[in-house]
Amino acid sequence: MEKETKADEEQTQVINPWEVSAKGKIDYDKLIDQFGCQRLDQSFVDRVHRLTNRIPHIFLRRNVFFAHRDLNEILDAYERGEKFYLYTGRGPSSEALHLGHLVPFMFTKYLQEAFKVPLVIQLTDDEKCMWKNLTVEESKRLARENAKDIIACGFDVSRTFIFSDFDYVGGAFYENMVKVAKCVTYNKVVGIFGFTGEDHIGKISFPPVQAVPSFPSSFPHLFSGKDKLRCLIPCAIDQDPYFRMTRDVAPRLGYNKPALIESLFFPALQGQTGKMSASDANSAIYVTDSQKAIKEKVNRYAFSGGQDSIENHRKYGANLEVDIPFKYLSFFLEDDEELEHIRKEYGSGRMLTGEVKKRLIEVLTEIVERHRAARAAVTDEMVDAFMAVRPLPNMFA
Amino acid sequence: MENGAKRVEEEEEEQVVNPWEVSSKNKIDYDKLIDQFGCQRLDQSFVDRVFRLTGRSPHIFLRRNVFFAHNRDLNEILDAYERGDKFYLYTGRGPSSEALHLGHLIPFMFTKYLQEAFKVPLVIQLTDDEKCMWKNLTVEESKRLARENAKDIIACGFDVSRTFIFSDFDYVGGAFYENMVRVAKCVTYNKAVGIFGFTGEDHIGKISFPPVQAVPSFPSSFPHLFSGNDKLRCLIPCAIDQDPYFRMTRDVAPRLGYKKPALIESSFFPALQGVSGKMNAGDPNSAIYVTDSPKEIKNKVNKYAFSGGQDSVENHRKYGANLEVDIPFKYLSFFLEYDEELEHIRKEYGSGRMLTGEVKKRLIDVLTVLVERHRAARAAVTDEMVDAFMAVRPLPNMFN
Repeated sequence: MEKETKADEEQTQVINPWEVSAKGKIDYDKLIDQFGCQRLDQSFVDRVHRLTNRIPHIFLRRNVFFAHRDLNEILDAYERGEKFYLYTGRGPSSEALHLGHLVPFMFTKYLQEAFKVPLVIQLTDDEKCMWKNLTVEESKRLARENAKDIIACGFDVSRTFIFSDFDYVGGAFYENMVKVAKCVTYNKVVGIFGFTGEDHIGKISFPPVQAVPSFPSSFPHLFSGKDKLRCLIPCAIDQDPYFRMTRDVAPRLGYNKPALIESLFFPALQGQTGKMSASDANSAIYVTDSQKAIKEKVNRYAFSGGQDSIENHRKYGANLEVDIPFKYLSFFLEDDEELEHIRKEYGSGRMLTGEVKKRLIEVLTEIVERHRAARAAVTDEMVDAFMAVRPLPNMFA
Repeated sequence: MENGAKRVEEEEEEQVVNPWEVSSKNKIDYDKLIDQFGCQRLDQSFVDRVFRLTGRSPHIFLRRNVFFAHNRDLNEILDAYERGDKFYLYTGRGPSSEALHLGHLIPFMFTKYLQEAFKVPLVIQLTDDEKCMWKNLTVEESKRLARENAKDIIACGFDVSRTFIFSDFDYVGGAFYENMVRVAKCVTYNKAVGIFGFTGEDHIGKISFPPVQAVPSFPSSFPHLFSGNDKLRCLIPCAIDQDPYFRMTRDVAPRLGYKKPALIESSFFPALQGVSGKMNAGDPNSAIYVTDSPKEIKNKVNKYAFSGGQDSVENHRKYGANLEVDIPFKYLSFFLEYDEELEHIRKEYGSGRMLTGEVKKRLIDVLTVLVERHRAARAAVTDEMVDAFMAVRPLPNMFN
């Protein structure tokens, strides 16, 4: 046998809307390269600060939203006085939302407030009906339940339209679905989404449904006559394939390409090799978890980058690359200075894991409690108000 | 190659019948088609039964076997009707051009008769989304053609108090879309390829379309009409090339807890040039259009209608006409109301005593009357009438 060459074993990672997994931790540089989007650097964050005249959101400061497409064009246009609208969404597959689910909504709420722009939120109940084998009725019910959690994030009802596909598909939205579908061959969707011959035709027909909210003409009650209005989509990076397809099709339909601002994955409690899974209750902090549950989950399941003994820990410090409590704090601890302090102390070994976890428990408890109170205050009437097909006369004010 | 006796191999007769292509090396073998599609011949006992149940002379298309095939459920529909359970009708058109020909009118003429005879409601689907996708029309053009075609359809004489006409671009949504998703979940890509022949280079619009044509078979797709009437049966009169859509629908229906639709299917109205295909809107001389003038009708029949007569008067008197391939006679069998007169022509022309010219003359008369009647009726159809037929509204008297 020939002399063995030293071959680096290809670290394979799978990132698409239905699966996120990797052998080691997710290589985001590779992902950006593979998907063809751009890193969001500090100059962007500074520019947003200047344009909006407010402290950039924690997710920008901490590089949670870390990649983009055409964000510079959106900001250029905004500087010239041209507004845009926001588009984000959720696939309502369960009632149990976890913190990872809230990340895009927290960020989108900030963007809405900071830029004073309208927002459409798509609840893809049809998608979940098709992928998760739910009945139509159950999917619609989950959509409304999830809408309450979304509203609890604090969106402005005078600028926000929430819709479920089963309610809203039709008219101009359906016309755009057909226009998009004409531009995408089966081979192409196989290449983008990995469909196979045994997949049902519902799945194959779905991508245009998630594409067309990027086009203002899909919402004639909102954007009639504003065909050139730009769209900015905050989402997790696993949604990129839908919008790569959309950006590829848009010019052929005479539409602007939507811009994207993308987040990395909120890691599971157990560690960084995937994203939180709604099916494993201990992989995530749920918005319905009690204080006690949060405390227990963090203490028992949050993967620690600390050393195996206090002695070693004092000597070597914590491995902050894999430490989950520190990672979670970087997502949610507002105070930059405090986080920096923890980084130094914990990284050098002067602070112990238990202390960091204690701090995290406080921070998460506050977030979850605030959300629960806000959600309890959301009535069915409020849901109806957000979901009503109505003009938003003050959406740019 | 070995030296041996040559085997005589029968060349497989190839015919292609699907919603987007109808062609054959020779004339269409309907027995084979019935066999392949798994439906049944519509026999005389059936026609007699319809006569008894409706108390009126069966439509010419039944008497002349134009509508010639059906599936099992049609007997169930009639059984139920006898018990006092009604049904609704569903037919449609893909509005790909403004130019309708006689072949296009056939399902509508027949459906109008069914509506009157059985006193049942009817939904008519205009698949403007399909044509936008297949014919590369813009959305706007497809919608415009749908409205134009609706006028010709209305001119066939449907009862506005029992008829809902809709275009997909207008109507898809709500309960209709929910059913589309339910059906789509039940059909794999491989299955769709097997039924419709899609390939990897087809766009996903085509692949997503079949459920759109399936779901009007389910009463829950029309909550403004059939709310609470989930067990209402559906009967679909259509040309046999539409069968693949409804085979798929019938396969899916039980899995959704829905009743399978019944079908009653017609053979193809042959092109003027002969029996090997169906009329083609792309070749104006292959068909008689509802906009043709009497002069044009006369010219087309005389110049292009394929004759089964012999090449000389002498031979013709001797051998008679080949009625199997004679287009004028075939057309008369579709449209000449009088059974006795048709029989007379069959005898006289088949034996050679009548000449092609005479038969063509008679056909020109019949077609001219038909086309003129249609044109007058169509001219009387206003945009308001189209709006009335297409309004999403309940039909309180639809079963009276």
